[in-house]
Amino acid sequence: MILEILEYPDPRLRTIAKPVDEVTDDTRKLIDDMFETMYDAPGIGLAATQVNVHKQIIVMDVSDDNSEPRVFINPKIDVLDGELEAMQEGCLSVPGFYEDVKRIEHCRITAKDRNGEDFVLEATGLLAVCIQHEMDHLNGKLFVDYLSSLKRTRIRKKLEKLHKQSA
Amino acid sequence: MAYQPLPFRAVAANVLLAVENGQSLSQCLPVALSQLPPEQRPQLQAICYGSCRWFHRLDGELNQRLKKPLRKPDRVVHHLMLVALFQLRFSEQATYAILNETVEACRELDKPHLTGLVNGVLRAAEREGAPEPEDDSSRFSHPMWMIEKLKHNWPDDWQAILGANNTQAPMTLRVNALRFSRDEYLNLLAEAGIGALATRFAPYGIQLERPVPVDRLPWFDDGAASVQDEAAQLCTTLLDLQPGQRVLDACAAPGGKTCAILEACAGLTEVVAIDESAERLPRVQENLDRLDLIATLTEADAANTGQWWDGQAFDRILLDVPCSATGVIRRHPDIKLLRRESDIVPLAGIQLGLLQAMWSVLKPGGRLVYATCSVFPQENHRIIQRFLKQQEQAQLIQIEAAWGRNMDTGRQLLPDPDSHDGFFYAVLEKPEP
Repeated sequence: MILEILEYPDPRLRTIAKPVDEVTDDTRKLIDDMFETMYDAPGIGLAATQVNVHKQIIVMDVSDDNSEPRVFINPKIDVLDGELEAMQEGCLSVPGFYEDVKRIEHCRITAKDRNGEDFVLEATGLLAVCIQHEMDHLNGKLFVDYLSSLKRTRIRKKLEKLHKQSA
Repeated sequence: MAYQPLPFRAVAANVLLAVENGQSLSQCLPVALSQLPPEQRPQLQAICYGSCRWFHRLDGELNQRLKKPLRKPDRVVHHLMLVALFQLRFSEQATYAILNETVEACRELDKPHLTGLVNGVLRAAEREGAPEPEDDSSRFSHPMWMIEKLKHNWPDDWQAILGANNTQAPMTLRVNALRFSRDEYLNLLAEAGIGALATRFAPYGIQLERPVPVDRLPWFDDGAASVQDEAAQLCTTLLDLQPGQRVLDACAAPGGKTCAILEACAGLTEVVAIDESAERLPRVQENLDRLDLIATLTEADAANTGQWWDGQAFDRILLDVPCSATGVIRRHPDIKLLRRESDIVPLAGIQLGLLQAMWSVLKPGGRLVYATCSVFPQENHRIIQRFLKQQEQAQLIQIEAAWGRNMDTGRQLLPDPDSHDGFFYAVLEKPEP
C-alpha cells in the first residue's frame, strides 16, 4: 500500500521518533509499505516520520536498479571520519528542491534489521549521506535546516503556494 | 531522501568550477564520475580534460561575448558555457543538441534566470564562429605568466612547447623486463591488433598508435607492462643499477619509477620507496602487487630524514622532486589553471632542501639522480647549480645520451607532440673520502 508522504512545512515532520520495542509482523507490514512508497516516489530513502509514523524505522535503497533494499530499526551512528563532503540532496518531503549539504564522509551504523537482528554497517559516499539524512528525520530535522534562512524561506513559500493550489 | 543525478553538462561545469577553485582533476573528477551512469563517464572525462586544455582560449572568447562578468554565485553558468563552447569549437556534436542541452542544464543548476543569456551567447558563438584571439593567452591557450616565462627561458622553443602542451599525449608502455623482451611484447600487441612502436630512447618503452583501455593490453593484470611516459622511463638508464645495491626512491607515489627500478635490475638488495602522502602510498603498493615486486614503503617527508632514516646509507637515490609539472601539461591540462607564478620560488626551495637531505643519506661512492617534470630552468639547471655551490665535493656526471638538450648540469627534454613528456635529469656522485 502506498502511504501519504508529509510535506514541508508540515509540523508533524518535527516529531521525534520513539525506538521500536519489538519487531513484529505489523512492523514488517509497515516496512513493506514504506518500500513501496519510496520506490513509487521515486526516492532512495524514507524515514517512518515522513509517513506520519513516529517510530525509529528507515528504509533505503541507493542502487541504480532497486536491488539493495536496506532496513534500519533503532539506528545509532558513529563518526569514523569527520571529513565533510557536500553533495546535492533532495527529500521526498521537500519535493523538487536539491541543495548541497555537508555531511560526515564515513560512518558506522548499528541497527536492527527487519527480523529484529542486530547488525553493523560501515558507510561512505551516497549511502552515508542518505543514512544521515534519514536519521535526521527521526529527530525531527530536515535537510532544509542546513540551508541559509533565505533559501529555506524561499523553498517554504514555494511549497506553501503549491499546497494551496492543490488544496 | 530523493536524489536526482545532474545532467553530465552540469556535472562538467561543476568540475571546472572546482578546478578554478584550486582542486586538481585527479581530485575532483573521480567523485564527479561516480555521480554519472557508466556510459556517460568517458564523455565527461574527455570534456573536462578538453575544456581545461583550451580553457584560456575559450574563456577569452566567452569574456569577449559577455558584456559583463556573471555574478559570483552564477559563476558555474560561466563554466557551463565554456563546456558548450569547447564542444562547438572542438567536437563533432550537433550544434542544436549542444545548445538545447546547455540551456536545460542551466535550469537544472537552478539558474533559470540565465537561460536567455546562455542561449543568446551560444547562438552568437555558433553564427559568428571563433573570433580572432585578443591576446597571447587566448591564442596559445595558456596563462600569460607561463607564456612570458617560457619566452624568457626558451626564446627559440617557447611556441613549440606551448603547441606540444595543447596536444593529447600518446599512451606509452614500459614492458616488464623480468617477464618479456620488448620484441616479444610488441608481437603480443600485434596479435591483439594494437598498433605500437618501440620508443626511441627508453630501452623497454613501447608507444601505442592510439590509447587503449589497459584491460585490452595482453597480460596487463599479470604485470606484463605498465603505463609510463618515455621520459620517466629514462631514470633507470641513469642510475647505473647493479645487483646488491640498496636503492631509495625519495618521492615515490604513484610508484611508476619504483617499479621501473625493480624491473631494471633483478638482484637489488632493497628498494625503499618514500612518499609523504598517505593517500597516494597505497597506489604504489597496488602497482608493486600487480607486477609482483617487493619494495619497502614508508610514509614520510623525505626531507625530514630524522623521521624515517635507519642510518644505512643508500648506493643509489632517485629524487623525482615535487615540481610545477609544466613538462606534463598535455597529460594534466588542469595545471594551466592550478599553477601560479608565485608557486615556483617556494617549489625551488623545497627541491633544493630535498636534494640536500638526500645527499646526506647517500653512500660515499653512491649516485643520485635528480629529476623533475618541469621545463623551467629555475627548478632544474638552477637547483643543481645552487647545490653544487654548497657541496663543492659533489661530482656532476655528464649524461651521454641521444635525448634532450645539454644544460651543463643535466639534460632537459622538452615535450614532444610525437613522443615523450618534458623532463629534466641530472646525475651527481658522492666521492669516496
